[in-house]
Amino acid sequence: MAAGAALPALLVAADRVALTVIQGVHGRRRVGQGDSFWQFRRYQPGDATSRIDWRQSAKSRAVFVRETEWEAAASVWLWRDASPSMRWSSQPQLTQKAERAELALLALGGLLVNGGERIAQLGTGERPVTGRAVLRRLAATLQIERRHDDTDSPSLPRRMPLPAYGHVVWFSDFLAPLDETETLVRYYAGMGVFGHLVQVLDPAEEELPFTGHVRFSGLEGEGTHLVRRVEAVRTAYAQRLTAQREGLARIAQASGWTLHQHRTDHAPETLLLSLYLAMAQPRRAAAPR
Amino acid sequence: MFSLGALAFAAPWMLALAITLPVIWWLLRLLPPAPKLIRFPAIRLLLGLKPEEETPRRLPLWLAILRLLLVSLMIAALAQPLLNPAGDLQGSGPLVVVIDDGWAAAPGWRQRQQHVGNLIDKAERAGRSVAVLTTAPPAIDEQPPARGLMRPADARGLIGAMKPKPWPTDRAALARTLDTAPYGTDATVVWVSDGLDGPAAAQLGERLSAAGALQLLLPEGQVAPIALLPPTVQGGDLVLRAQRPPSDLPRRIGVQASDEQGRAIARMEMEFAAGAAQAQTPFTVPNELRNRVVRLDIERQGGAGSAVLLDERFRRRPVGIVGEPPSEAGTPLLNEVYYLDRALAPFAALSVGDIGPLLEEKLAVVLLPDNAAPSAADRERLAQWIATGGVLVRFAGPRLANGPDDNLIPVRLRAGERALGGAIAWGEPATLAEFSDKSPFAGLAVPDDVQVSQQVLAEPDAQLSDRTWARLSDGTPLVTAERRGEGWLVLFHSSANTTWNNLPLSGLFVEMLQRLIALSRGVAGSTFDQALRPYRVFDGFGRLGDPPVGVRPILPDQAARFAPGPATPPGLYGEEGAQQAFNLGDRVGELAALTGVAGGASLGLIEAQSEIDLVPFVLVAAMVLLLIDIFVALWLRGLLPAATRLRRAPAAVLAVAVFAGLTGLAAPDRAAAQGASQAADDIYLRATLETRLAYVVTGNNEVDRVSRAGLAGLSNVLKQRTSVEPAEPIGVDPDRDELRLFPFIYWPVTAEQPSLSREGVAAVDRFLKQGGIILFDTRDAHLTGGRTGLGSGTRELRRLLAGIEIPPLIAMPREHVIGKSFYLLSDFPGRWAGGALWLEAGDGRVNDGVSSLVIGSNDWAGAWAINSYGDPMLPVAPGGSNQRELAYRFGVNIVMYALTGNYKDDQVHLPKILERLVR
Repeated sequence: MAAGAALPALLVAADRVALTVIQGVHGRRRVGQGDSFWQFRRYQPGDATSRIDWRQSAKSRAVFVRETEWEAAASVWLWRDASPSMRWSSQPQLTQKAERAELALLALGGLLVNGGERIAQLGTGERPVTGRAVLRRLAATLQIERRHDDTDSPSLPRRMPLPAYGHVVWFSDFLAPLDETETLVRYYAGMGVFGHLVQVLDPAEEELPFTGHVRFSGLEGEGTHLVRRVEAVRTAYAQRLTAQREGLARIAQASGWTLHQHRTDHAPETLLLSLYLAMAQPRRAAAPR
Repeated sequence: MFSLGALAFAAPWMLALAITLPVIWWLLRLLPPAPKLIRFPAIRLLLGLKPEEETPRRLPLWLAILRLLLVSLMIAALAQPLLNPAGDLQGSGPLVVVIDDGWAAAPGWRQRQQHVGNLIDKAERAGRSVAVLTTAPPAIDEQPPARGLMRPADARGLIGAMKPKPWPTDRAALARTLDTAPYGTDATVVWVSDGLDGPAAAQLGERLSAAGALQLLLPEGQVAPIALLPPTVQGGDLVLRAQRPPSDLPRRIGVQASDEQGRAIARMEMEFAAGAAQAQTPFTVPNELRNRVVRLDIERQGGAGSAVLLDERFRRRPVGIVGEPPSEAGTPLLNEVYYLDRALAPFAALSVGDIGPLLEEKLAVVLLPDNAAPSAADRERLAQWIATGGVLVRFAGPRLANGPDDNLIPVRLRAGERALGGAIAWGEPATLAEFSDKSPFAGLAVPDDVQVSQQVLAEPDAQLSDRTWARLSDGTPLVTAERRGEGWLVLFHSSANTTWNNLPLSGLFVEMLQRLIALSRGVAGSTFDQALRPYRVFDGFGRLGDPPVGVRPILPDQAARFAPGPATPPGLYGEEGAQQAFNLGDRVGELAALTGVAGGASLGLIEAQSEIDLVPFVLVAAMVLLLIDIFVALWLRGLLPAATRLRRAPAAVLAVAVFAGLTGLAAPDRAAAQGASQAADDIYLRATLETRLAYVVTGNNEVDRVSRAGLAGLSNVLKQRTSVEPAEPIGVDPDRDELRLFPFIYWPVTAEQPSLSREGVAAVDRFLKQGGIILFDTRDAHLTGGRTGLGSGTRELRRLLAGIEIPPLIAMPREHVIGKSFYLLSDFPGRWAGGALWLEAGDGRVNDGVSSLVIGSNDWAGAWAINSYGDPMLPVAPGGSNQRELAYRFGVNIVMYALTGNYKDDQVHLPKILERLVR
């Protein structure tokens, strides 16, 4: 089956991306719930006797308690834009935006699972779980969705209730009107969910490299637009794009979310590193509503 | 017609369309090019954006020029451009083309054809009819060409097929027929002459002028006719000679000598001085090479007049003289060898010596003077040598006169010599009589001063006069000869020195010796008294070929008066191995140049330059530009890189289709004709590249299917078991298909098959007579119980074979070769068993005793038939795998019988033959 064949390839690529990031990032460096050893300390009254490390205690007179590193498993809901506008690349040798989004999503998922976090795909209604199996399922779902070639797939995730203190990561080009994005971010932030927006753009979308007499046509039924001299509108386009980004940044900031920029001609590792670091930071208080 | 130097337009008014070019230019520059199409996700950000300066986007200049060029080419094509235009014809009547197609027209014949072709093109454009007249008489096996008016297309075909003739023109004959020719008086007459004047040239010119304006075309200097004359013999050398009509220009020609295989042996050059009509050069090559030369050609002329065939007369013959070389003898003027040597040295390769060593050499002629009388052993050897083709020439003298008991003498001699004249004699020395016509010396002039004073006399008998080649004035023989075996024995009844006569001092002696040497080719004497049949004759281009039917032999008395013509073209006449060459060059007389005719004809040169119709080239250029333009347009719209998006550009597809259609239109007939002949070729190739079994398509689908499957099954078995590897079987229809391609045809007899057409009957008859084998299968043995003649199958068979000559049939004898051609079989079941097999009751004389017809009723194909899995299709009755195996064996046997005939029958006798050999 073609999807089955493509699936491991995608997973392997994602693993490779994730591995480069993992080497530089480690645990929370705090005492907490977890499996890995953190430190021994003197037994104090009130400690449960079951926590005494007898082997360590036998080495000296004092009684020691074994403390493990704090490994609070967070729940992360991942989502990527599957609309037709993502399935596009300006040049054949460039990866499509959707492909890059999926790769980043799976690599991030792999990192999170390695860190013990629970992940789920936003919109499927599944509960977040951990383990390699979820990655596999995630990849399969992405694959199936891609093959269905949903032309009316939404450009933004649907609204659905999430528990507080959850994380969401959205991969999209975020070219939809800003107010739609803003209401959605407000909705999720209102539930106490912490989010990260990743804007994936094609270099052509950023630079508008075309010249001459061009009839542009949208990929999602936006119609066509004739520009007699593209080079004459390049500056105006750049201004609009900057405005769009600034708007996004404002929306994210207002909710305490983060915004990450990515171009398909750049290495996905950079994106992943910044994303991972942003998620590894101690959580700031979301603006409670 | 509107002409610009070498370029002209047949429809110049179409050029007026060029005034639309500025309009097109303006339109092209005004209209912006179509925009590129780009899919872009971030179009929301673009919507509503307009560039500030709205300068109209214009077509790039180079593209506009390209398109303008395209339109210009189209307009040019409509105007029908021509390269090297050939003006229009004058006059209003028909075009009359007179072509000198004699030998002198062969050089530059293609130019003549081209020129006439151009004239005909012009006549066609002007819608005028054409008449083509030729001055040379047609070949003896050709129809005289039509002289009437014809359509230009027909005339073009006639000109294309026309060839120069290897004989002179006969203008007088044409002039006579022109009196009644229906060309009116306003015709355009063009006389494409060969540049030779002749007695009737003026007469013909006059007649032609009467029909209309006459234009006389003369050949250019390079192709003016030159006649190569047969070489003359001067001293020991051949001298090449050529003649031409006198011209003021010097001309240098090369002459190539080639041998019997056509290999060039030598090349000579000769030069005509300015104003000279003759040129000559000695042919200096070693004897060995010279004897191999059979043909001389003037280079780059290629006509019957520029080729000369050399027969044996021009080859040196090695001659041996018995005796001592003269330099070693003390008194040369008494020595017979001296006279012979002096007479022959310039013409023949001479060897002098004793008989023994001489006969070791390969000699054509041996001269035997009197004082070298041979011993008995030498006589024996000489006799043998003569019998194998040698020519022995003996000279009389005192020895012979005193000892005539010699067998190397053509006639019986009286003992003693006869003296004529002298101091004590009554008579005067005798002179020579004229040579008779039957003598090889015929035609030689007899000088008065040759006198013979002594001779040996022959006993008169019945053969004497036949054997006498030269006589004295009193009738006594001077030279007698006898044919012995392949060679000749010749006796001079007088001496080879001056003691008995003064003949050796005269030129006649030399000529007589030459004639005798010429005898050694084995032709002259004997064939002069019978007609020489045509052996190989020239065509107009100087190629030797088989003589056409109707060419007449040359009678002996015509040889000197040989005139090249349709009945006697120049070439080789005689028998295989002994021919005489009759050349054209020395039979055309003095050549004179034709410079004009009375009546004021305009003169012109024959030109090969033909006009070229440029329309196809211009159209192709336009189409190429159109293709380029299509691709440029696609590229400008950004559609080019993705080939799959071409379907979004139906215009491009349409343009390509139109282009393909246009190019295809160019030769639809040819393509169709090719297709048809291709199909015909295909079936021939299919049938012959591999051996195939064939069955007759009866029209009953079920039967045909079984026949096909049956033969396929049999082919499989043949492939597995024998060295016969047949390909897929083929169904044939005797009415339409060529049966001869197949060795073996299976013919199931059905009621549905219609009777054969007359062609079908003829085809089947021919097939059977040529040794093909047809197995007729009435397939009704289960109904008739094996008894012949009862079933409907037999009736149908009779119906199908009606009209075909069927020899008497017999039931197959037990020992027939079909029973042992591969397997040893005694009965031949098919799907049914028991039916008898009927064969031709041949007696072994026709077709080597192989029966062409095999008739049975056992439905063999049914037993052989296999389906696509290789399983049998039909059950056999009474049944059993043994019966099917026997059916296959019968099939193998009959195919072997068809392919090898009676071979196995002969093999039956092999043990006997071997037994005999051992003994």
